[in-house]
Amino acid sequence: MIKEYFKIAVRNIRKRALRSWLTILGIVIGAFLVVSLISLSEGLNKAVMGELQAVGTNIVMVVPGEGMDITAMFGGLELKNQEMEAIRRARGVDVALEMPWQMKNVRWRQTSESVLLWALDLQTGTDVARTDMGWDVREGSFARAGRREVIVGNLVPQNIFPGIEPGDEITVSGRKFTVSGVLRSLGNREDDSSIIFDLPDYRAVTGTVEGTPVAIVRIQDGYDIDLAISNIERSLEEVMVRRRGDDSPSFTVLSSEAMIEMVENILGVIQAGIVAFAGIAILVGAIGIMNTMFTSVRERTKEIGVLKAVGAKRKHISALFLVESGMIGLLGGLMGIITGLGAARLGQFVLDQNPNILVSIEAQAPFYLIFYTLLFSFLLGCLSGLLPARRAARLDPVEALMYE
Amino acid sequence: MSSKPQIKLDKVKKTYRIGKIDLEVLKGIDLEVEAGEFIVLLGPSGSGKSTLLNVMSCLDVPTEGHVYLDGQDVSLLNEDQLAGVRGRKIGFVFQQFNLLHHLSALENVTLPAVFQGRSESQRKKRAADLLESVGLGERMDHTPPELSGGEKQRVAIARSLINDPEIIVADEPTGEVDTDTGKKIMGILTDLHEEGRTIIIVTHDLELVDYAQRVIRIRDGVLSEK
Ligand SMILES: Nc1ncnc2c1ncn2[C@@H]1O[C@H](COP(=O)(O)OP(=O)(O)O)[C@@H](O)[C@H]1O
Ligand SMILES: [Mg+2]
Repeated sequence: MIKEYFKIAVRNIRKRALRSWLTILGIVIGAFLVVSLISLSEGLNKAVMGELQAVGTNIVMVVPGEGMDITAMFGGLELKNQEMEAIRRARGVDVALEMPWQMKNVRWRQTSESVLLWALDLQTGTDVARTDMGWDVREGSFARAGRREVIVGNLVPQNIFPGIEPGDEITVSGRKFTVSGVLRSLGNREDDSSIIFDLPDYRAVTGTVEGTPVAIVRIQDGYDIDLAISNIERSLEEVMVRRRGDDSPSFTVLSSEAMIEMVENILGVIQAGIVAFAGIAILVGAIGIMNTMFTSVRERTKEIGVLKAVGAKRKHISALFLVESGMIGLLGGLMGIITGLGAARLGQFVLDQNPNILVSIEAQAPFYLIFYTLLFSFLLGCLSGLLPARRAARLDPVEALMYE
Repeated sequence: MSSKPQIKLDKVKKTYRIGKIDLEVLKGIDLEVEAGEFIVLLGPSGSGKSTLLNVMSCLDVPTEGHVYLDGQDVSLLNEDQLAGVRGRKIGFVFQQFNLLHHLSALENVTLPAVFQGRSESQRKKRAADLLESVGLGERMDHTPPELSGGEKQRVAIARSLINDPEIIVADEPTGEVDTDTGKKIMGILTDLHEEGRTIIIVTHDLELVDYAQRVIRIRDGVLSEK
């Protein structure tokens, strides 16, 4: 029985194709926004959270700039040696690590690739990396300080230098280094595609002497984190006040918990915004569908009369129109999902091309997102068809048959 | 006449209210139809033929009076119950065929069976047989716009038979086709009568009187029979 309704609905939708397309535009846009942006922000969430959650609670991060706003983070502000020293002087600080990064040409055998170099001071930082940041090698061994050893990220042997393995030599800026090991995945593609250098080696190959966009600080065991944070802040302020004329006197100290909370808040706001926009589009879409269905009922008045004459009850007539409006909704949802997934991929690609963005985002379109978007579009279609269907069902058969 | 008529009208009145004027289209009609009759309801345009047929076929309800179908007072039924009665007991043939344009001939014929909850295989088989019997076996997959007027009316007749009704009502069934085609259609209806069905035809065309067993004339909402 339902099959017949679908058949009639499909032919009607096809017959009035153009109007149907216009009708579903609202829903298409709504579903498009939801799918593309939610999957991107989910991807961002996963990338950032994966990284943050691996970090121990006794680790805090110091970044230059106010409130860790994105522009400061990617705008080239750096903590210099003076500031690093200030952090190290603060009470409660165990280790403070500079972890700068830079793209560089790296040669392995005959191939030369631009790779992200990432510095870790092996002397003081090996333990922090291994125990507090969860770094571990899956092959070979961890690099040792002063041995011109490097560790490659998990994806390097796959994507950048296929076949590279511990013991191999690489060349950067005319200097040779030995690959000591391959890291396990750190949770995101960008990190996994980088090569970890000992800080002095990094300084040598990049020709820099100081500066890092971020400092990773380990608090002494048992020392109160919040207290340590305020010690660091006070110590940094002293240095910065002394350094007169400094145009970037601000910095931010964040505990890993605070970072997680902040990321969650930002994502929450983004997602709420998406839902609000999508909601408006969907509301417009619902009105569009309702309007189309009312027109459809009017145009098909005679047909309704015929169906009633040959025995259709009210429920049959409403079902016929509800199936049609539901299908219009479903169709809109489907198109929104397809274009949304495409846009998310495109967005991911664009973000990947931006060298300043460190976390690489893989658009996440979880099953539930697709499923609920489809379900919701279908139900919305049905809901929009409710009043038109009711009007159709209540038509008087004789009057409907006389309608021209 | 036998004890229980198939259709019985008891002082049926139908009044339309147009603005402030009450237009009495049926002025107290008493009529009994026995099962298996072939009736032609004849009258000039506007005399109330269609209105009477609609009331007799449970498509419309009288303003006053009662309509009995197989002894049941259908004037007491609600809209959905009436639809059920129409679907089971009455086949409709219209002047303008009233087929669904985007469905094939076969799908059009099966449609009334859908509302009776018949299984798909059942209704398809019967629809195909019916189309075969009206000579459209080769045309089942054509849609109405691809068919001639006579073919459309034959599809409509096949549709009226899908639920095997006892009564076939036809409002001006030859009104939109040429004389030869009209004769063919009347031939099919005569065959259906011979199968034992009650046939009630509304027309203003005197030629159709020849097919009838019983002719009922209506003028200004009042019957006269001879
Ligand atoms: N729904 C309606 N509202 C008002 N007047 C109607 C309606 N239906 C029919 N009539 C009027 O009732 C009269 C009889 O109509 P009808 O039964 O269709 O006549 P016939 O079929 O004999 O031509 C006509 O005058 C027509 O205008
Ligand atoms: Mg008429």
